[in-house]
Amino acid sequence: MKLNLILFSLLIIFALVKINAHHLYRVNHHALEIEKQKTIELKDEQNQLLIEESSKSGNGRISEYARNKLKMNPPEKKQKKLIK
Amino acid sequence: MRSKIKKNHEFFELSKFRRRFTLLVLLTLFCILFSRAFFLQGMQKDFLQQEGFERSNRNIELYAYRGKIYDRNNQILAASETVRSITLEPNRVEFKKGDKKKLANLLEMKIQTLNKKLKTKRNHIYLKRKVDPKIASKILALKIPGISSEKDYRRTYPDQEISAHVVGYAGNDGNGLEGVEYKKNDLLSGTHGYKKILIDARRRVVENLSEVNVPIDGKDVHLTIDKRLQHIAFQSLKKTIDDSEAISGSAILIDSKTGEILTMVNYPSYNPNKRMRKRTFVRNRVVTDMFEPGSTMKPISIAAALEKKVVNVNTKIDTGNGFYKVGRTLVTDTKPHGIITVKEILQTSSNIGVTKIAEKLSKKELWQTYSNFGIGNLTGLNFPGESKGIIRDYKKWRDRDHYSVSYGYSVSTTIAQLARAYTPFANKGEIKNLRLFKNDPIKIGQRVMSIETTKAVLKMMESVTKEGGTATQAAIPGYRVAGKTGTSRQFIEGKGYGAPGERKYNASFVGIAPISNPKFIMAIVIEDPTKGSNYGGVVAGPVFRKVVAEALKIYSIPQDGIEILDRADEDEKKEI
Repeated sequence: MKLNLILFSLLIIFALVKINAHHLYRVNHHALEIEKQKTIELKDEQNQLLIEESSKSGNGRISEYARNKLKMNPPEKKQKKLIK
Repeated sequence: MRSKIKKNHEFFELSKFRRRFTLLVLLTLFCILFSRAFFLQGMQKDFLQQEGFERSNRNIELYAYRGKIYDRNNQILAASETVRSITLEPNRVEFKKGDKKKLANLLEMKIQTLNKKLKTKRNHIYLKRKVDPKIASKILALKIPGISSEKDYRRTYPDQEISAHVVGYAGNDGNGLEGVEYKKNDLLSGTHGYKKILIDARRRVVENLSEVNVPIDGKDVHLTIDKRLQHIAFQSLKKTIDDSEAISGSAILIDSKTGEILTMVNYPSYNPNKRMRKRTFVRNRVVTDMFEPGSTMKPISIAAALEKKVVNVNTKIDTGNGFYKVGRTLVTDTKPHGIITVKEILQTSSNIGVTKIAEKLSKKELWQTYSNFGIGNLTGLNFPGESKGIIRDYKKWRDRDHYSVSYGYSVSTTIAQLARAYTPFANKGEIKNLRLFKNDPIKIGQRVMSIETTKAVLKMMESVTKEGGTATQAAIPGYRVAGKTGTSRQFIEGKGYGAPGERKYNASFVGIAPISNPKFIMAIVIEDPTKGSNYGGVVAGPVFRKVVAEALKIYSIPQDGIEILDRADEDEKKEI
């Protein structure tokens, strides 16, 4: 009778442990999914930044900026001076 | 005492009727429960399971990123960026006053078009795909029921029209439709994955229900293109075409030692970032469009004669008064050159001189040399739409073809083929296949000519860019440059080469620099320049000078023509 009671108690305890483990698994799984989602978002952001960097450092943009905003132009022959 | 207990027992004992009634009620309730359970689990099983699955199970597509396209210095030429697609559930949609107009404005859509979409009988449609995330968040801020957004990806090309013909573009579904995007679609695409998940009442993902099919991202593609030079080549080609009021132009710059393509540009071009139903100027004309190369074929014809030892560099040939009749064909020069050496024939680009040299060779010998130099063969690029060029079998040549081929008529090449045909001059007689992909193996060049012959031709070609040559505008101060100009008449279907005044020309130039240790070969063709000169040296020569001068600077190639620099300095001194 006593053994039965002990075994029954153990059964209940293990059942509760199993339920708790499953619950913890689900909580952790959810946390992992959030992290995975963040990874994807960061990857997207990295792509976005790479594209932006590539667009902004483009030779065309730099040349346009230099010519139009900074008023930089390659010197003409008359503007060149020979220094010896 | 005993009787009292009995009495109590009797007191609690139900009557026979009550007992039966209670039993009947319990049985009835049990039957109801059982039948309900039977109904739910037996008859409604599929429906209920379906409903349950729909509430708690989700199939999620795992997006595989399309590979990026890089230039040789790891600069991005094409990549995918995150955007939003606006979706509509017409049954749920309800507009407050003014919302419809705001939505139409944000979507850049006419109200009528929006109304048409709202009337659809489907449960779920896309209102607009690939919308900028900022605009999507403005739309969602309107809080219109039934309107939501989904994550999507859009291909972006930071180089816009400059590299459009090389990189190509991908469609809305992400599949490549042109250029490298099309050619390497399988490699770039990757494979999308999926997983089945279980969500709880708070819509949190709590379990994977089946094995996750992991997405395989597309592989990146590294091109041999140099974005910096691509920009310079495009700008100078654009300027030349605008200034000379030409129809179009193409240029290719290759590394003469490896056959790697450093720039490949066409103008007019298109912007692959703009979504259009019908695009124009999509073809990469560097590899698809053929033209008669004209005088740029002469170095190959002369190389054939030198190799067969029918002439040498100093052999004198009488080009007469600028007119020479072969059978019924009249061959002309731009001006009479009289008796000139083979070197001067190339320097002055004498058609008569080359014709007289070709007369000394058999049709087979000429054809074989052109064929060895890659004329009529693919360049090794395998670019979509690449054409082989046209050179007929020598057995089918008429006598006229024998001579006209030697100065670049009755034969058609692409500009890429022409650049490749000059690689033997830069590689001591070895022809190189062209390469566009960094990871492709380098193929060993094939010897097509002796070292002595190619050296001699290269030296002769140097005179073309020097005083008295046809391409002095292609000379680069500080460097020794070899090249050959070409000004060929366009063959127009039904009209032939056209009457004087109606003729259209292709101005071309192929150059090599620096001569002491050739690094770059550039070929340029300008279609029908109408303003100013139409000579290859005048129109295409400056494009070569601008681009190759920058390339020599960028790649830190040591100067090998200091005496030219000194002369240039003197010119400047005089001006000052």
